[in-house]
Order: sequence, then C-alpha cells, then structure tokens
Amino acid sequence: MGLKIIAAFLMSVAFGILHRIPTSLLGYAGTVGGAAWLVTALTREFGGSLIMANFAGSIAIGVAAEALARRLKKPATIFIIPGFIPLVPGGEAYTTMLYMVEGRYIDGVSMFMRTVLTAGAIAFGIFISSTIYRLFINYITERKAYHAEKN
Amino acid sequence: MTPVEKLLLNEIINLAVLAGEVLLKNGAETYRVEETMVHIARACGAVKVESFVIPTGVFLTVSDEQGHSVTTMRRVRDRTINLDRITKVNELSRRLVDNRIDYPDALAVLKRIARERTGFSLGPSVIASGIVGSTTAVLYNAGSYEMVAAFLAAAIVRYIAHIVSRLHGVQFTFEFLGGMVAALTGVLLAGVIPQLGRDAVIIGGIMPLVPGIAITNAIRDVMAGDLLSGLSRGLEAALTSVAVAMGVVLILATHAW
Repeated sequence: MGLKIIAAFLMSVAFGILHRIPTSLLGYAGTVGGAAWLVTALTREFGGSLIMANFAGSIAIGVAAEALARRLKKPATIFIIPGFIPLVPGGEAYTTMLYMVEGRYIDGVSMFMRTVLTAGAIAFGIFISSTIYRLFINYITERKAYHAEKN
Repeated sequence: MTPVEKLLLNEIINLAVLAGEVLLKNGAETYRVEETMVHIARACGAVKVESFVIPTGVFLTVSDEQGHSVTTMRRVRDRTINLDRITKVNELSRRLVDNRIDYPDALAVLKRIARERTGFSLGPSVIASGIVGSTTAVLYNAGSYEMVAAFLAAAIVRYIAHIVSRLHGVQFTFEFLGGMVAALTGVLLAGVIPQLGRDAVIIGGIMPLVPGIAITNAIRDVMAGDLLSGLSRGLEAALTSVAVAMGVVLILATHAW
C-alpha cells in the first residue's frame, strides 16, 4: 500500500514532466495523483465498486486541482492532467484487447463496457467536482459582496 | 493608462492574437484562449472585443471608440503540449491587466515565450516516460522483473515519439507505432525471459500514450459550453485510444497466430 502510494506519486510527477508542467509545480501535481489513488484504494477497501471508487478518486482530483489553482493562481489543467493518470483503466483496456484477439468476444465486450464506464466515472467525477467547487466559491463571494453592501 | 491609449488597433490585435496562438498551439482550453485574448485587448485599450476559437484556428475582432474595427484570424496547424508556456502566457496576461507591464515589453516577452525552448530535453523525458511505465507495473501488482521491462518499453515508446515528431507526420501515427512498440517489447521480452509477465509490461508501455490533454480539455470545454471544441477534442481522445489499441491488437494477433 505504502509502496503503491509512492508509485502513484512518482507516476504523476513523471507524467507532469512529459507534459512539461512548470518544474516548481511538480510536487503539487504528484501529491494530487497520490491523494487520488489513495481515495480510490480506500473506497475499494471499504467495499465500493470499481466505478464508485474511481468516481470518488476523481472528485478528489477536481476539488484539489481547483483549490490549488485558486491558491497558486495557475491553470487548473496543470494539476488535473498528471492527477488522473494513476486512475486510468489501462489494465482493463489491455484485457479488452487481449480478449478480442483471443476471440472471446462476450468477455471482451463486457470488459470494454467496464473500461468505458470507469473512464466515464473519472471524467464526470472531475466535471462534477469542478462545477460544484466553482458554484460554492461564487456563492461565498456573492454573499460577501451582499454583506459588504448592507454594511 | 495614458501611454496605452495611443496604441493602434493593429498593434493591439497583433499582441492579442499572438497570445491566443501560443496558448492554442500548446494545448490550452478553448475558453482560456478566448478570455485571454479579450483581457489582453481590453487592457491595451480596445473598446469592443470579440473572439472565437476552435481547436484548429483563432479569430479575433477589435474595435475602438470611433467604431473602426479590425479582424484577423490565425490557422493553428502543428499543435504540441507545453503547459509551461500556457502558465507563462497566463501570468503575462494577468500582469498586463493589472498594469504591471507596458505594451512593448509585453510583446517582447510574448515573442520570447513563443520562441524559447522550455521544458525538458529528450533524456529526462525518456526517463520520465520510463518511470510512468514502471510505476504503472507497480500499481498492477507486478514484480521487479516486470518493473524493469516496463521501464524499457515506455522509454522506447517515448524515443519513437521523438523520432516521429521530427518528421511532422500524420496525426495518430505516433500513437499507433507506440502501441505496436510497447506490445512488441512485452512479447519479445516474455519470449526471452520465461518468468516475465507479458501483460504488465504492455500496460506500462502504453501508459505514456494516454491522451491526457485531449481528455481534460474535452471535459473542461464541455463544462464551459464550447460544445464544438469539446466534441472535437473528445473525438481526438477517442481516436488516439483506438490507434493505440489497434497497434497493440495487431502485434498480439500476430503473436497468437
């Protein structure tokens, strides 16, 4: 478990280097990736399904990325791209290809659906958490402005 | 704002459209490109600014108080991925809006950002790619043999990317070749060393090919309401994945036969 968290951290840092994110932000990107993987693994541990776990992990990515982007005044993309790499269903995608090549089409299609649903859970997790985070921030700033006006 | 107001429309549009071009070339989201161009043009003294961006081109119209307007467009052909440049242009536009930099300096800085080589050279990125591969193998419960083999596969994939990108080839060639090379490395190494698990090596090898930018930008474009860009980037991500998968499938099918 500890080894895997380190692996997820290093993986995010390395993917950040591949996409040329600024060197000073590599540590943040790795932390987002490690945290996302930890949330996913813990959800699996407590009996969540594969899709549920990936959804929880990508919600963590979206919230962390938006918070860091606001704090450091950098585009949120920088933290999202390396962050979701440990969650990518590479193993499922590969197993789909393997089944298809071996002619086990039924198994292949069911594995393909699992891959697509996992990928969709990741995409919508990031989508939903970014949207809700922004709504929340907008609500707070508007309330502050309203109170300032009243005073 | 006094020295700024003497700027000609042509000068404003040159700066703003160059910023948009640099952003789009290096993989920024559509709304970021549109908003940055509007912010920069406004900061330079334009009264009315309209921008329209699709993944392959930039359009910008700038008007002054008298109602004169200038429109320009740039076609963006070879797109790369360089988040460092996006961060720098973002920073520049913030400084320009806050009046912390004037027009000639901003133009000079922007031209330097567009020209300079940033990020890491070939050696570090090959090693980084290898690390992505070997850590993927760790996440899929592989042993130390597979880790080393996956490092090798992913590093070779990155080296192939370097060669293909110099040829300015057709889109999706590199992903297809990368998938083939990753599968070939896995199959060959598993043939030479019998106790090596083939699957973890291939999964590690294809991991650096995940279209991270296309997926993330597709999500964020759809979120921002840029449906045209969101759809085309989603399609780009899907086609990239299909290209990788076909590369792997061809090698596996050949091996099985």
